[in-house]
Amino acid sequence: MSTRVAGALIGVVFGVVLSWSGMTSPEVIREGLLFQSSYLFLFFGGAVTTAFVGLRILRRRAPRALLTGERVRWETVRPERRHVAGSLLFGVGWGVSGACPGPIATQLGQGIAWGVPTTVGLVLGIVLFGRLQARGRAKSSVIPSPVAADATA
Amino acid sequence: MVHSQLPWFVGGPVLGLCVVAMRWLMNERLGVMGAWTDVVDTVSAKRLSFGPFGWMLFGLIAGAAVFALIAGGPDFHGYGWLTDTFDSTLLIVAILFACGVLIGLGTKIAGGCTSGNGLSGNAMASPASLVATMTFFATGIAVTVLTEALIS
Repeated sequence: MSTRVAGALIGVVFGVVLSWSGMTSPEVIREGLLFQSSYLFLFFGGAVTTAFVGLRILRRRAPRALLTGERVRWETVRPERRHVAGSLLFGVGWGVSGACPGPIATQLGQGIAWGVPTTVGLVLGIVLFGRLQARGRAKSSVIPSPVAADATA
Repeated sequence: MVHSQLPWFVGGPVLGLCVVAMRWLMNERLGVMGAWTDVVDTVSAKRLSFGPFGWMLFGLIAGAAVFALIAGGPDFHGYGWLTDTFDSTLLIVAILFACGVLIGLGTKIAGGCTSGNGLSGNAMASPASLVATMTFFATGIAVTVLTEALIS
């Protein structure tokens, strides 16, 4: 199996779960952030706990990735100002729209037209970030240089 | 069956296993922003040779489409508090567009979103992801509470 097929299959599972759990709906996110429902936090906690345990078992038992043969390993990242600054901007957008990058994609998939303006903005944000990086703002402590940026972010 | 919300103790762990699968199969950090970026970068370069992350985004969209087909329609109608509060479609579109820019730029600066930092980064016990997650949850809660107070 190629890594592309694997990526697509993982995406399908992720997309079905984000839809079936209601995470695609801004109302479900809002109820969570207003502490009217515990679902969001239980769901998120269940996901992080499973991944935390699973990754630790994996690192101990599987030295090589199945498809690429790479060593299964990861580096942790030291917190910098950009992690706070970027997450502040993201938190404002998330709080107002009740959507984040995964649910924006599943809104499109479900055919929800309100997902279109959010998507256009998201794509513009990515392009804007690339421009800021290219313009040599890399020395800024908030816009990371291409080399310092987290690998898959 | 698809009309009732999937229990959190099923949905949460399945998402967690997606993070483990990404690492086990190709030693990558699962992050939806990485998926969006792959598609934007590849299309900007006038190519169509998407990597595993780009294909993950297509899978996400396809999975949601299959869900909507089986469920007989989307998961929700209207757009939550925005369509309940404002009558002007143009205004809501402008608000959602601005939110999209904040989400895109913010998560790129922070090196991850709810999945990249929130799920995968925290599962790897990466201090930067913990800081990012606390920041976006605190900000998200504050903004939600504030807007709720303003409209009621």
